[in-house]
Amino acid sequence: MQLLDIRNLTIELETPDGIIRAVDKVSLSLKEGEVHALVGESGSGKSLIAKAIVGVLNSRWHITADRMHWQGIDLMRLSPEKRRKIIGQEIAMIYQDPSSCLDPTAKIADQIAESIPKKNLKGYFWQKKKQKKERSIALLHKVGIRDHTKILHSYPHELSDGICQKVMIAMAIARSPKLLIADEPTTALESTTQAQVFRLLKSLNLLKNMSILMISHELEELSSWTHGLHVLYCGQMVEAGPTKKIYKSPYHPYTSALLKSLPDYNKGLKHKHEIYALKGTIPTLQHLPIGCRLGPRCPQAQRDCVKTPKLNTQHERSYACHFPLINIETNKGNSKCSPF
Amino acid sequence: MQPILKVQALSKTFKIRDRFFLRKKFKVLEDISFCLSKGETIAIIGETGSGKSTLAKILAGAEVSQKGQILLEGKVIEDDGKRKTSCRDIRLIFQDASKSLNPGITIGKTLNEILLMNTHYDAAQRQESIKNNLLKVGLLAEHQDYYPHMFSGGQLQRIALARALILEPKVLVLDEALSSLDPSVRAQTVNLLLKLQQETGLSYVLITHHLSLVKHMSDQTLVLDQGKVIEAGKTQALFIKHKSKITQRLLNC
Repeated sequence: MQLLDIRNLTIELETPDGIIRAVDKVSLSLKEGEVHALVGESGSGKSLIAKAIVGVLNSRWHITADRMHWQGIDLMRLSPEKRRKIIGQEIAMIYQDPSSCLDPTAKIADQIAESIPKKNLKGYFWQKKKQKKERSIALLHKVGIRDHTKILHSYPHELSDGICQKVMIAMAIARSPKLLIADEPTTALESTTQAQVFRLLKSLNLLKNMSILMISHELEELSSWTHGLHVLYCGQMVEAGPTKKIYKSPYHPYTSALLKSLPDYNKGLKHKHEIYALKGTIPTLQHLPIGCRLGPRCPQAQRDCVKTPKLNTQHERSYACHFPLINIETNKGNSKCSPF
Repeated sequence: MQPILKVQALSKTFKIRDRFFLRKKFKVLEDISFCLSKGETIAIIGETGSGKSTLAKILAGAEVSQKGQILLEGKVIEDDGKRKTSCRDIRLIFQDASKSLNPGITIGKTLNEILLMNTHYDAAQRQESIKNNLLKVGLLAEHQDYYPHMFSGGQLQRIALARALILEPKVLVLDEALSSLDPSVRAQTVNLLLKLQQETGLSYVLITHHLSLVKHMSDQTLVLDQGKVIEAGKTQALFIKHKSKITQRLLNC
């Protein structure tokens, strides 16, 4: 069953100079128990999409979507109160910088206890306190923290980033949500802790059948365990599909450039030789090119690229490019790349 | 061939608070030794708290060690915690370029200050040097009138590089300088660094947790754990065959 189904999500920002379209017609769907990744460089609007799903953007941002279904309920048509209730129960989010997202003035014990839903607690109020404590300890154990007494009695600034991130995950899974949105959960962490957090998320997905929407700017760490991959560039969805297939043969020039820029995936790259990189830099939101936003940097841009490419779907993969790499491979004899 | 940078038995301890009013010693670095030849790259990997950043700071002269020597081209520049010269030949690049540049002054001024403090160039020579360095890292001479906020992340990293290169150093220490960049910008910066190394024979000390970069860029690798060298050797060989479990754990994730 489709858990989350978003069609043509557009997010616009009102500025004194006019309206800026930060996210342009992004479609995304997620089934139960799947792990999807949203990949893109900084400024591509990944975090905006996550915030739009959870509904925490302020009124300066205009969100429009043809469809934004959560288990068949259209979130866009609900009143804010109802929407908040559904999202609060079933979607949880982990933010980028764990140590700054926790309340610096409260102890970890209080913060975790706050996130435990009240309906799970039974008995009179003096009994609830003990239950809360037991639940928090169990949650900490679940995310792999053994030394619970010390952690519960400390403030966020006393803990390392890795442990803060684990506490954040513990708070997120306290309600046992159906969807966990992880917004760059490992950028602040170093590689061993990073691996621990990934292992934890992986086991949550397998054991609890929890869907995860991973947001990241690193392709290499997502390759092994995500089912689907969505690649964003400057607010446009450039390619989406099953992770393995995309890794094997990317259709969009941007995805292929991203993969080639990783020394591990670029076979035949000699030691200390030049890595393939796109020329130029990511345009700022104020100066977005018209049409395909990759246009000025694309190695095979042609005149047609000033028109915005539509998202083509083919065998559960979709891509937005006038000249996808698939055509060049199959129609090598033809001088023109014919659309199919 | 004589190594350009030689570190011999470098040690450093911090004093940290213990029970009551006592202080206890905490060894950050213990007997670190390595050699770096001209045009080579040494990568230092390890977990947080293994002393990687402290080592970078000591090399660049931002902190002093307590024991051991640092030799640059055969000359002792630091001996048992005494720095002989203010070192222009080893320069450090920080993790976050946007935070390490002064937002209130233009790029040209930032670069000019460095030359003013460290060299005896006159105004024309300084201007010439700034221009050359900006061109070297792939920017334009006009960029010196810009303020840091007018640049993108990748360009700021280039400016940080220009600031390090302007004194014509022999060794460049990259302390997580590539980790926070986007993949395509990182690839561009890596290309630039490799090009500079080929052209000028610069040596790098690369501190990162990106193993694919370590594999691609470095000739030697040093594995640190709790201030000690656990393993060292040629990068290619180390990735294939390693002895200790800590290396195994670092390389597996």
